[in-house]
Amino acid sequence: MKRVLTALALTATLGVAVPAFAADGAEVGKPAPAFTLKDETGKEHSLAQYQGKIVVLEWTNPECPFVQRHYKVDTMQNTLKGFDAKKVVWLAVNSTAHNTPDKSAAFKKEEAFTYPVLQDADGKVGHAYGAKTTPHMYVIDEKGVLQYAGAIDDDPRGKNVTPVNHVKTAVDALINGKPVPAATTEPYGCSVKYKS
Amino acid sequence: MTGMRSSRWAVLVCVLVASAVAWAEPQAAAKGTGANDEGNPRLEATLLVDASQVKPGDTFRVGVRFQMDPGWYTYWKNPGDAGLSTDVSWDAPGVTVGELRWPFPSTFRSPDGFIVSHGYKGEVLLFAEARASEQASGNLTLSAAVDALVCEHRCVPAEILLSRTLPVGAETVRDAESTALFDAAQAQVPRAPEATGHTVALKLDAQTLKTGQPFTGTVTVSASDGKVLSAVEPDFFIPERIKGITRMGLTLESPGRFQLKGDAAPNAPKEEPRFKGVLRLGTAQTGYQALEVDLPLASVEAVAVAPKPVAKVAPFNPSAAAAQIQTVMPAGEGGVSLGLALVFAFLGGAILNLMPCVFPVLALKAYGFTRMAQEDRKHVGVHALGYTGGIIGTMLLLAGVVLAVRAGGHSVGWGFQFQEPLFVAAVCAVLVAFALNLFGVFSVGTDGTALSSKVDASSGVARSVGEGVLAVVLATPCSAPMMGTAVGFAFAAGPFTVLAIFTALGLGLALPFCALVMVPGLSKRLPKPGVWMERAKQLLGFALLGTAVWLVWVVGGLAGVDGMARLLAFLVAVGLGAWLYGLAQAAEGTRKVVRVAAAVLVLVATGGFTLRFDGTAPAARASTVSEAQPWDEAAVAAALKAGQPVFIDFTADWCLTCKFNERTVLTREDVRAAFTQHQVAFFVADWTRRDARISAKLGEHGRAGVPMYLVISPSTPDKPEVLPELLTSDLVIQAVQRAAGPVADAT
Repeated sequence: MKRVLTALALTATLGVAVPAFAADGAEVGKPAPAFTLKDETGKEHSLAQYQGKIVVLEWTNPECPFVQRHYKVDTMQNTLKGFDAKKVVWLAVNSTAHNTPDKSAAFKKEEAFTYPVLQDADGKVGHAYGAKTTPHMYVIDEKGVLQYAGAIDDDPRGKNVTPVNHVKTAVDALINGKPVPAATTEPYGCSVKYKS
Repeated sequence: MTGMRSSRWAVLVCVLVASAVAWAEPQAAAKGTGANDEGNPRLEATLLVDASQVKPGDTFRVGVRFQMDPGWYTYWKNPGDAGLSTDVSWDAPGVTVGELRWPFPSTFRSPDGFIVSHGYKGEVLLFAEARASEQASGNLTLSAAVDALVCEHRCVPAEILLSRTLPVGAETVRDAESTALFDAAQAQVPRAPEATGHTVALKLDAQTLKTGQPFTGTVTVSASDGKVLSAVEPDFFIPERIKGITRMGLTLESPGRFQLKGDAAPNAPKEEPRFKGVLRLGTAQTGYQALEVDLPLASVEAVAVAPKPVAKVAPFNPSAAAAQIQTVMPAGEGGVSLGLALVFAFLGGAILNLMPCVFPVLALKAYGFTRMAQEDRKHVGVHALGYTGGIIGTMLLLAGVVLAVRAGGHSVGWGFQFQEPLFVAAVCAVLVAFALNLFGVFSVGTDGTALSSKVDASSGVARSVGEGVLAVVLATPCSAPMMGTAVGFAFAAGPFTVLAIFTALGLGLALPFCALVMVPGLSKRLPKPGVWMERAKQLLGFALLGTAVWLVWVVGGLAGVDGMARLLAFLVAVGLGAWLYGLAQAAEGTRKVVRVAAAVLVLVATGGFTLRFDGTAPAARASTVSEAQPWDEAAVAAALKAGQPVFIDFTADWCLTCKFNERTVLTREDVRAAFTQHQVAFFVADWTRRDARISAKLGEHGRAGVPMYLVISPSTPDKPEVLPELLTSDLVIQAVQRAAGPVADAT
């Protein structure tokens, strides 16, 4: 009987993980769209391989002033530094149509950060997530469920002395087993330059 | 805006100092450039005033004229999917400056149409009403710190500081040139409908917005003079950023009548979002009429499309599977596509076979298999078809009833037929008759009569059909996992979908048995028939009687003691009828008579015994779980306000899965301890009798039947967690811990 019940519970799990189809990218509270992308060195990264860790996705484009501003003050690097490396993975994604691995490598060297820059020049993953701006941030929990989508912080103009870092808030909440306070915020930045 | 004033001012000082250092100019000019794109400024900004002299206490207009290079644009107050709105901060001692006025913007789309933003190409004048103070004298200094993002394919930020003086005099002297510019800009600024003799009305198609779901409605614009501009240009409606609304748009249906379509955010707040934005009637030929609309939409209802996946499922990864499905399946309405719902219905039907309420039928079938194994394959096929036909037929009948009842405006749900005492009584009677048949009181067709020398396939098939019908009838009070979703989908869908879903359910229910019959090797592995079969058959009869006892108790919940008594009396009559039928069937029925008499005696004795009970009212029944309160939205809200986590058990007397969960999980010591520890407010929503409120609540969560378990955290009252339909104690305890808030160790 117990085995039957376990089997039933399993099936129940299957049955209740009904995805809702968001017409416009990924939806918070739902499984994040799966992807496999090569980084600037040609190494493949898939969302599935990071199951069990919190994954932060950062849509980036070094040509965008907003991204430049954040890299000038090391917003992304400092945010990542505040996390336990065993629990959190940071992946940048570039969906710019004319981006190349070399450009990403140069950007990485220039800004001296260590996380991979996933190459999404055809924009498939960007569209799956509904990434609209650079930067546009997503936080995915250990179970692969999207828990935050939106801006990196509450300071679009870069003029706040003490901006609230939404990604840090979200990751800290997840690590402490709490619900993310603001699961979505309005992203700001340049538009993602998808291929047309 | 005003909160930023001080930091803006600091910036202003910095910029001032910086520009003073850079240009050695003591003061900013009324004209400036910005957005340097590799040495080429893309934006020119000019500070304009519509007066060359102002009288103390008089009003004038002050604004910034933006002129962009061809192809470059700045953003509106809601930039849309990307970009940044233009910001103008005023600093004008002795002058009060009002809100910035925004002419109706253009809409820009990325080449693939994926990113939509709003703003101005070419040039725009953003302005504000200003008023010189009564004490003003000499020269007023007007300064504006402009912060804009200027984009083409690239984006370049611009920070420009502008300043000019305005002499104070005895009279206000208008400046003709700039007044023309201000007037032109003002004509493009959307105005409140009342100010233009227009009325805007909004009618939503639903009472409430449902989180994460689309909504529709109608917007009508009428004018007091009856003349509403009938034509519109593309992008005539631009919504503001509204909390809780992910998307909203209008399409022109007929002059002055628009269809509203939008999507509520999955995490939309409870408070009423508004229909807020700008609407521009007319075309370049007819001239424009821009209106600023701001109307209440409707309150938001939280809807969970599907419960969260269960934690700790070792080898299976639901999120990945779901994500896989997500990439493959087309989008459907209401969260689940029809194809997926059909798959779930089919699987749900198959799982129904394992549910406690189908046990008697399963037992019957087990007996049937052994009987079948003896017949040749052809007959087996016919039987399988008969059984499946019986199931599908009954399912379709149910679907028909659902449609009919729904057409009548009643709310129905899975298992609804068990809210009707007459129906329960009928099922009871069938069970008793079946049991008597198994005891051999009478026979269906030729089964069990020594007289028949030949197996009459057709009558045997009738039996199979009957078993199919019975399987469905008994299965319905159990809402198996997955079926909740599938049936929930069906109940909210069109007639065709309802029929399709029920057919899929039926096929699923018939599948295991058919597989056993149709796969040659399987039936051979069943035990050989013999005397034991006769015994087993009789034993199964008692199982059916046990089920009948449960149904009698259900009727007790529905119709009280008197109802139960009436039912039992009726069952006795059924027994008597069966007996008489048996007598008529066989001549040498003396031994049978004895059996029937015994059976009737047992029935009557049981009836007499049961009648001595007090009819357990539903309220008392709730006491299976300690300190349960009857479910009530107000009470739930009060408990959440008091900071208590809330657990709601949606249950019904006739739902065996519910009873199973209550007895084996919800009343366990450790679960109860967790409830006590976290001060959980436990509510029971009893659906034994028809209750529209409960049906509506089930529907909100995409369910059509019980059980349903909601766990609500006081910190996120609008996001209840829906537990799976089969509970385990760990699952409940963890959910309660999650809802209670801080957990020392995240699971």
